[in-house]
Amino acid sequence: MIQFENVTKRYGDATVLDKISFNIEPGQFAVLIGPSGCGKTTTLKTINRLIEPDGGRVLIDGDDTAVINRVQLRRRIGYVIQQIGLFPNMTVAQNITVVPKLLKYDKERCDKIVHEMLEMVDMPYEQYAHKYPTEMSGGQQQRIGVLRALAASPPIVLMDEPFGALDPMTRSTLQDEILRLQKKLHKTIVFVTHDMEEALSLADVIIFMEDGHITQMAPPEEMLKNPANETVKNFLGKHIAAADPSALTAADFMKTNVVTVDSKKGLRASTALMMRASVDSLIVTDENDRYIGTLSVEDIKSCGSPDCRMIDLVKNDRETFRTTDDAKRCFDMLLSTKANYVIVLNPDDTVAGIITKTSIAKALAERLWG
Amino acid sequence: MYGVSLLRNIGIHLMYVIVSVSIGFLLGLTLGILLSRKPSYSRIVLPILSIFNTIPGIVFIGILFLYLGMVPMTVIIALSVYAMFPILKNTYVGITNVEQRYVEAARGCGMNRRQILFRVELPLAMPTIIGGLRMATIYTVSWTVLAAMIGLGGLGEFIYQGININRNDMILLGAIPAAILAILLGLLIDVLQRKVTPRGIRKEAMSR
Repeated sequence: MIQFENVTKRYGDATVLDKISFNIEPGQFAVLIGPSGCGKTTTLKTINRLIEPDGGRVLIDGDDTAVINRVQLRRRIGYVIQQIGLFPNMTVAQNITVVPKLLKYDKERCDKIVHEMLEMVDMPYEQYAHKYPTEMSGGQQQRIGVLRALAASPPIVLMDEPFGALDPMTRSTLQDEILRLQKKLHKTIVFVTHDMEEALSLADVIIFMEDGHITQMAPPEEMLKNPANETVKNFLGKHIAAADPSALTAADFMKTNVVTVDSKKGLRASTALMMRASVDSLIVTDENDRYIGTLSVEDIKSCGSPDCRMIDLVKNDRETFRTTDDAKRCFDMLLSTKANYVIVLNPDDTVAGIITKTSIAKALAERLWG
Repeated sequence: MYGVSLLRNIGIHLMYVIVSVSIGFLLGLTLGILLSRKPSYSRIVLPILSIFNTIPGIVFIGILFLYLGMVPMTVIIALSVYAMFPILKNTYVGITNVEQRYVEAARGCGMNRRQILFRVELPLAMPTIIGGLRMATIYTVSWTVLAAMIGLGGLGEFIYQGININRNDMILLGAIPAAILAILLGLLIDVLQRKVTPRGIRKEAMSR
């Protein structure tokens, strides 16, 4: 267990940490987040005493870290930094065994660790153990960076924006991997990020910091439901809406670039418009842009004569919704009827947009992946 | 006629170079490391050293000669001090230029200061340090010519004699072997450079 008791850090007149207190339980994945300069990295670094607090105590399993030799302390705590920081003069195997060697493990044990570690991230020993960091991609390098932190089986691992410098694809792969490792190894992980998405997907508990204070410490669901203040809310941003499906309205999912046509226009013009926009139906409005109905290519064909008046062909059998209607109702309607879209109207009956089955897919995707 | 004396003087010359550069290397490396532990001192120490560096070798040997007399020690002390400068400077620069992230990672892994120095900083600074050694060696080959000025032999002997009796071929007999010696030693150090540069930083070192 990691305990902070009134930890304070000042640089000159600036107070970076102002009497912060919190506990991280064993096996918890704790994410420190907040605007830059909020003190999250400082907090992280006081745990392995890369930064010494000016006041208060940091306890690990009840022991005050200030009285433990800091070099010994750091060998018992894994540490992953943002810029990876693999030693370029050492091979992958040498990098992984830095801490085991400092702890004077024998060669055999070190070899075994390298094999086990590489296996854990599916990097074949023969292929990677003797590579140098510059010979690998950023994602592979940071995997090794994580393995280096885990090599001596420390119960606690500190990660300072470990995936910040990686591209989004690699980042999400590594996030999955770290979650998998965490489940398997039951480490206590303290993780700094400025990316709320990352925090929400990784954390058991999020510690939100601002100006050297802890604004809120809560599990992700709790933080989404009850953000402590505006800053937290801003950080959560779109995730708040996504977390509460009942709050989503038709307006959140409709496509607004729909093709409308004035009912006064002739059939020929309408057909031309369909071709230009490559759609098979149009939304027909009156001269005040109010919704009248829809006109499909089949409707035009069924008339057969160019003399038909458009107004006679327009059908008004589509379901319409208001922009403020519950998105779920639109989806239910779409799924239960054969219609491939429903129409969303503004309060003044003008056309706001349409909702298609693709919109549902998008909604699901956002719900699943944020 | 000069064959035997040429070989002998090449030998003496080489001896001066090897001894002085070795001493200079040890001194420069040690002082460079110490200075890198206290970078704030370097703002005072490095300028003083560069002023020292501008004193012509001939003056320095002359002054030492007054105190120590015509002994090889005079030449070796002077040459060692001069060989030390580039090595000291490059050691200091090499170590202080090691990217902070590596030092921080090393601290975070639980290395103490000595371990950080020997396992991370020195290996990463090695290409720069050897660059200083190369410079020192090549300079020292030419400075060693001054040994003959106080009658202590080496290839300078031919050069001074040649000047005195106004024989250009004699001057060249000293100058050409000295130039070849400098080139060969330079090549030797290039090989050493490649040996001590870890594969992982070879590319970086080359672009430096």
